[in-house]
Amino acid sequence: MGDPSSVATFQFGGLTFNAANIYSGLIAFVLVFLFVFALSRHITMKPGKGQNILEWLIDFTNGILKGSIPGNEAGAFGLYGFTLFLFLFISNQLGLFLQIAVGGKDFVRSPTSDPIVTMTFSLATLMIAQFAGVMKFGWKKHFSGYLQPFVFWLPISIFEEFTNFLTLGLRIFGVIFSGEMLLKIIGNLAFSHGIATMIVAVPLELVWQGFSAFLGAIQAYVFVTLSSVYISKKIEIGE
Amino acid sequence: MFSHLAVASSLAIGDMLFYAICFIILMWLIKLVAWKPINQMMQDRADKISNDIDSAEKSRDDAAKLAKQRQDALANSRQEATGIVDSAKKQGQQQRDGILAQAQTDAQALKDNAKKDIEQERQDALSSVRNDVADLSIEIASKIIQKELNADDQKALIDSYIEGLGK
Repeated sequence: MGDPSSVATFQFGGLTFNAANIYSGLIAFVLVFLFVFALSRHITMKPGKGQNILEWLIDFTNGILKGSIPGNEAGAFGLYGFTLFLFLFISNQLGLFLQIAVGGKDFVRSPTSDPIVTMTFSLATLMIAQFAGVMKFGWKKHFSGYLQPFVFWLPISIFEEFTNFLTLGLRIFGVIFSGEMLLKIIGNLAFSHGIATMIVAVPLELVWQGFSAFLGAIQAYVFVTLSSVYISKKIEIGE
Repeated sequence: MFSHLAVASSLAIGDMLFYAICFIILMWLIKLVAWKPINQMMQDRADKISNDIDSAEKSRDDAAKLAKQRQDALANSRQEATGIVDSAKKQGQQQRDGILAQAQTDAQALKDNAKKDIEQERQDALSSVRNDVADLSIEIASKIIQKELNADDQKALIDSYIEGLGK
């Protein structure tokens, strides 16, 4: 992983695709959809088990959004926050129990252990933030925010957007990527010298998997939280 | 990592597009399947709860109003009952007084009648006795004296005696 030779690619419509990203991404999307679909059957006034879990999740992500976006505006980003949280969470956990590599090339792993995937989402967040700012204040007022507190601040403002984009995407990538890397190294260790190393490696692997599951949940939460912070910054200019 | 990034950059567009499109489709599906109906249901529930609270408030007010009405009615009926008892008492008193007075007058009238009757009787008796005594004494006198004594003179004499008796 991380090594270019471990990436299987294919061409389609003039674009190059990363097979691992496509397969694992598809699996994550399908898992998220099945999860939500299974829990959202039989929606009633008196919630059943599945509906309770789903309502709790919706309240949870809405709570994250409302924590930084003031007033009623958080409602507009509820669906984005909810889907983003679920997808990142399941993506982060996917690689912990399902990693498929054929002939030294990865096919299924955490989609979020690829910086391209995470930066796609960070780009989406920042685009939504810009869009929300323009929708609320209009082009002129929105972009004049870059000149605050004074005109010469412009390069710093632009640079800040860029670093926001990079750090938001790379933070989650770093944590998940390193987690899976270490899992793989421990796995290799287990099979390196027969029984002796296996006995040492199995508890290590267990501990690290547990920790990675925890980190994956935290990172999904952090991503959604920071997304809402960036969005709220753009719709609070000049207030 | 940096070599990975460098390689990835040549792959970027395809993967990014794939993820962006899939994510939008996923968002749309979730909106269709879960987000809309669940939010609708949550809104409905919130409305129902607030309605329930309102109606509970209302029925509590109604109950309080009813209780007050009953209280008032009770107090009212107590007052009325007291009034009825009082008036009955008063009426009874009046009736009693009336009956008593009536009885008194009746008794008085009876007594008067009786007195009058007695007086009449006495007068009658006296007059009949007077006549009888007169006749008897005449007879007796005529028998005893055997003398031609005028009946009228005799009567006058007897009368004067009787007058003396009556006093």
